Amino acid sequence: MPHGIETRLIETVTPMVRELVTQQARALADLHYADVRLEVSEGKFAGAENGEARTSGDDYAFALGIRVLAGRSMTAPGYFGRGLGAADVPHLARLLREGLLAAYRRAMANAEMKAEVKGKFGSLGDALADTRLHPIPIRQAVVPAVFEVDPRSVALDDMQRLTTDVSRRVAGVHASASYNYISTMTQLSRELFASSEGAVIDQSFALTQGMCYVVATGSDNSQEIYDVLGHQRGWEILTRGVAEPLIEFPPFPEFALAMAGDAVELAAAPALAAPAGEVPVVTDPHYNTLLSHEIVGHPVELDRGLKMETAYAGRSWLLRGLDDTQLGKRIASPLVSAFSDPSLPGYGHYAYDHEGTPARRVVHIDRGLFTGFMNSRQTAAVFGGDPNGHWKATDASLVPLVRMSSTVFAGGDREPADLIKEIDHGYFLVGHRTPSIAESRENFRITARKIYEIHRGQIGRLYRDGGIMADSRDFLMHVDGVGRDFRLYPIPNCGKGQPMQTRKLGNGGPTLRSRAIVTGGA
Amino acid sequence: MDLARAVREALARLRAEPGVREVEVFAAFNRSLFTRLNYTSHIPCNGVEEPKSTEMAGLGVQAVFDGPDGRPLIGFGSEPSDLTQEGARRALAKARQAAVHDPEFRSLPRPAGAPRALAAYHDPRLMSVEDAELVEAGWKVITGGLRAFMASSRLGDLAPDEAGLKRLGLILGGDVSILQSRVAIASSAMPEPQADDCAFMSASATGMVEARDAKGSGWSITTRLEHFTDEAGAEAASNAVAAMDGERVPSGDYPVILGPQPVADLCNNLIVPSCQAGSFYSSSTPFLGRLGRVVAARGLSIYDHGAMPGLAGSRGITCEGLPTGRTDLIKDGVLVGLLSHWYDTQRLLHDPAAREKLGVDPAAAAAALAPRNGFRGDGGSGRTFESTPGTSASNVVVEGADPVSLADLAARVGNGLYVGRIWYTYPINGLRAGDFTCTVVGDSFIIRDGRIAAPLRANTIRINDNVTRLLGAVVGTTKDPRGTPLWAADEVVYAPAVAVSGVHVDAIAGFMEGLD
Repeated sequence: MPHGIETRLIETVTPMVRELVTQQARALADLHYADVRLEVSEGKFAGAENGEARTSGDDYAFALGIRVLAGRSMTAPGYFGRGLGAADVPHLARLLREGLLAAYRRAMANAEMKAEVKGKFGSLGDALADTRLHPIPIRQAVVPAVFEVDPRSVALDDMQRLTTDVSRRVAGVHASASYNYISTMTQLSRELFASSEGAVIDQSFALTQGMCYVVATGSDNSQEIYDVLGHQRGWEILTRGVAEPLIEFPPFPEFALAMAGDAVELAAAPALAAPAGEVPVVTDPHYNTLLSHEIVGHPVELDRGLKMETAYAGRSWLLRGLDDTQLGKRIASPLVSAFSDPSLPGYGHYAYDHEGTPARRVVHIDRGLFTGFMNSRQTAAVFGGDPNGHWKATDASLVPLVRMSSTVFAGGDREPADLIKEIDHGYFLVGHRTPSIAESRENFRITARKIYEIHRGQIGRLYRDGGIMADSRDFLMHVDGVGRDFRLYPIPNCGKGQPMQTRKLGNGGPTLRSRAIVTGGA
Repeated sequence: MDLARAVREALARLRAEPGVREVEVFAAFNRSLFTRLNYTSHIPCNGVEEPKSTEMAGLGVQAVFDGPDGRPLIGFGSEPSDLTQEGARRALAKARQAAVHDPEFRSLPRPAGAPRALAAYHDPRLMSVEDAELVEAGWKVITGGLRAFMASSRLGDLAPDEAGLKRLGLILGGDVSILQSRVAIASSAMPEPQADDCAFMSASATGMVEARDAKGSGWSITTRLEHFTDEAGAEAASNAVAAMDGERVPSGDYPVILGPQPVADLCNNLIVPSCQAGSFYSSSTPFLGRLGRVVAARGLSIYDHGAMPGLAGSRGITCEGLPTGRTDLIKDGVLVGLLSHWYDTQRLLHDPAAREKLGVDPAAAAAALAPRNGFRGDGGSGRTFESTPGTSASNVVVEGADPVSLADLAARVGNGLYVGRIWYTYPINGLRAGDFTCTVVGDSFIIRDGRIAAPLRANTIRINDNVTRLLGAVVGTTKDPRGTPLWAADEVVYAPAVAVSGVHVDAIAGFMEGLD
């Protein structure tokens, strides 16, 4: 059944959008900048629970978002967003203009009130400043999606069959696999960005994901395990798996069955009785995916560093003030490097961010020294440095935020097995589970899917409900081994912003060895 | 936009479509307006960072179709922006294409006979906020905070001049949110359309005196525009000043008074999910098999009430067209009820393992599983037409028997902690284990000799404990519950402060003291 809207609509409306944001916007008094984002996606999904089909769908989504910077005596921002449907297409020009005017009215009112408050509050008012955007190269570009099997061509019945079959097989792994929910999705999306500066960028993305959630019930516990297999590719990644240099997955059925096996094994394993004090710990690439996300990625988001997230996701211990930062200082052992790179494959891949900045790699930690933040045009204008293209929204109707692309620990040169062999007594953490991070990212507790005791260099007993807790800088400083087994993984659900935007992005790294407090159950 | 008429006409059209056994039409319009706030005295800033809105309208259709083998097929489809019969037809076509046989599906929701308790309760002015009013609301909170900072004698003592005041790193962040939601629903079982309009406004603010590592919170919730004030900003700034010169405490077990925000956070992330029918179905609740048994200290009660006038989470009907109302979850320490929606209630009552999962015979559990909480929540942004209902709370109310004043509760604690704000609260070993962790990020104090004696330095302790132990270790509550909005949550929690014995905390982030 054809969708009411298809991604090729973007081509049709590009001239209209360009005219709006250049001619019409520039005609508005005291408007200094405007941009428009439109997004169309066509996607399919299927869900199954405990071996039975539950849901499926084949649909489209369409949305617009507009930003205006305007003002007479000061410059301030205003935004407007809206979800759209097929019935809106004949009226799109009017809806875009109405949205532009709403954003403009908000920006003008905001600028006027900002100027008034600035004048009333003496030195405290001095901090109120014009909203500025750091200059960027203005581009016109078309970036196609990458896939073998076009998401639009996959038969919904086939998706449902595969999903239900996987659920049935997972349920059959063992009697203790008491519950499972399996979902699959594949979609093609196309984003248009146009600005009053003349940028016109048309980017398309394929995305496919399989999700497995399984509960295995033991005598006195339930083990809930959840993970995804995903990539910015087509349906082929679920049927054939992924075999790339940096990303490896088996076909989705094998992926889900392995998870079920893990859950069953863990439900029968003893709970970890945590030892006292810090011990050597080895963390595998999947665990370090979440670690890189939480203690590297989030604190190097410059909006967080500039206190803009104080009320929500918190601040960053890496920046206290504009002249009081950890830049150039040692925050990790010389073995540790970390960076964000939108050119890496996977969920974090893109060419331009959502304000038209060409996205590029930024190094955060260079052999232990802190070297840089990921940023946006606005945050770069405040802090300094060139924009590196990390301003992204999950939907065109929402205002973008500074978000990770693929944030990773760099690979090293050690054999992972040797990092374990060299330990007399410690623990080996395999797979990430649940995080909790302190407000400025200065401390973390992250549980692992599996935790093994290491005794005299040998991997020993498997335990459940274990993890590690450490102050972030201490953990990074104590890294004394970095493996050569770098891997990228998808993170499907990073939450940030008000309203909340749950974003898919990439993280990863190699096996690491450090020291931490090992945690068990309460 | 007449949503009731739209669903009436859509239902009449769709019921006549070939192969349709039952059908339900849900129409929604949601507009979320925000002003995000960011003021920093030591960093160039906007003050009002993002005056913005998102909005969307559409139809969602769930239908039961004749399957090729005689078994029913159930499907859902939606269509944005088109409330006409043509839009309904397209949504039905999507539902038909996506339909599957679900052996646990019994029927679309049926009315149970209980009347609707809440109607005509929204403020029309909140439904028509102008752009300038939206921006002004944000500046109201900011200026309330700035005035509180400037009026503070403690800050004045620290800063000899206005330039000195700036260098203290004064921060005001947060947002003003206005949620406008209109829905209508009609179905084969409930053909007379029901409509429900609701709106509420909240402000959530965080203030800091960053040079003194002091953080304070303020918030307000109202269902009427004329009641909106600058109190969130003023409170956040005042609480930040009060939190200056905080002290560290060593790791250990402490009696702790949890303020309204921590109680709300624990409810949202642990207690309410543990009391949902879906968690029992999937055997992932720490209360598995414990319906009718003691799960908390005597005297502690927690209930959800979706039909209380004047409370921000109240709705006239659920997103299944059923009346909202009160569901007792924990009554005097005993687990007596679960939150549920129609589908989860039906399948749990007919689950062969229900007795084991609930701990009672399912026939005896029907009243405890009344489907009063079927909502199509959108992470705090309204009631979406794009999905089928799930279970979510509305107004969660926490009460203790024999509540006392905060001063009396502190006296009861003796030597311990008052925790006013926690963050990143998760069931760290899965929900069923009950283990949780969080950090204490502001508004917190040390209790010595029965009195609140000194601020507790923000971000210096992590709580590592277990929610089932916590519930059993409640030793008292205060009077005067306070409504607390939570980030990205659909519910609002109205809670007092709750004192708990033996809470385990670990000291963290020692390296920050010497950070250069």
